[in-house]
Amino acid sequence: MEKKLEREFLSDFEKNQNIAHKICRIYTTNQDDHNDLFQEITIQVWKSYSKFRRDAKFSTWMYRVALNTAISLYRKSTKRIKYQNIDDFAYKIKATDYDQTEEFQLEALYKAMHQLNDIDKALIYLYLENKPYEEISETLGISSINARVRMNRAKEKLKKILSP
Amino acid sequence: MDLLDKYKKIWNNHPKDTREFSSEEIYKLAHSKSSSIVKWIFIIGLIEFVVLNSSCFFIDMSEALSMYKKMGLIKFIYYSQIIFYIIVFYFLMTFYKNYKKISTTDSIQTLMTKIIKTRKTVRNYVLFNLSYFVLIMIVVTIASINTNFDNLSHKEILIITIITIVITVLILAVLWLFYQLLYGILLKKLNTNYKKLADLNSEK
Repeated sequence: MEKKLEREFLSDFEKNQNIAHKICRIYTTNQDDHNDLFQEITIQVWKSYSKFRRDAKFSTWMYRVALNTAISLYRKSTKRIKYQNIDDFAYKIKATDYDQTEEFQLEALYKAMHQLNDIDKALIYLYLENKPYEEISETLGISSINARVRMNRAKEKLKKILSP
Repeated sequence: MDLLDKYKKIWNNHPKDTREFSSEEIYKLAHSKSSSIVKWIFIIGLIEFVVLNSSCFFIDMSEALSMYKKMGLIKFIYYSQIIFYIIVFYFLMTFYKNYKKISTTDSIQTLMTKIIKTRKTVRNYVLFNLSYFVLIMIVVTIASINTNFDNLSHKEILIITIITIVITVLILAVLWLFYQLLYGILLKKLNTNYKKLADLNSEK
């Protein structure tokens, strides 16, 4: 039973790992912290995976666990934690024909998001991921009206940073 | 087109991360040790429970008991210890129950509320211990003055009282500072985020 659950988790997580990578890029500013947070998200998703009901989409559920980890559980420590040979992993550089200008603009967007507070980061991230307000308010635990009001403010802040 | 709509379009073309992990690597990461603040609150909480309750091992209890007997405090110490351990047991149960309720599948605000509640149990436990310590200090001081009342001058009684108050306040201040520092550092980020969400909900 445990083995089956583990296999399902690995398959689901591998397919959706970009959710965690994006959150790591938003909430951290260097490679070590990115790896730390990614590791913690992986642990937390696995720890609560048995509670995941198949009636919801795995990705929807993973947004919540990953954001919870980034906002509430992860505490940047000055002392590096020892993670399991993560440095030994050979990062696979994907050959991509991704537009250079778009890559530059994406980098600018991440830099601008780094200047927002943790809650605004989550709001903008969910907006960029096209999440409906109902899901945003459920993920954050605030009312739908508050989510809309706050989203507008966060967007204004981001716009100001992007076009000073 | 709105500026953010343009960026949203770019976001939709977000390339895969260059550090994609294989399922073997994800397996290793998932089974590594967590360094989340919830785990630290649990460890620190347990240490506090153990350290505060094991102080009797470092004190010469037989000497303390004969001193209490001499001052006529033996019954008071006996009954207050029973009440003390019942309350400690209650705190331990609450701490464990709150800790078990913490779940990353909750909404962000619910999760933060539960973490803060768990920490508050430990804070209340420490406050209870400090209050018990103050109560014992006051009772022992009064009893020792009463026992030696005939041999002490008013000046000596005043000096003993002042010294006891100063020592008690000093110990309390050091413990409180240490405690604030410990949880202050650990929960700085969480408290800030919690306040932001709480402010958001209180807005009309």
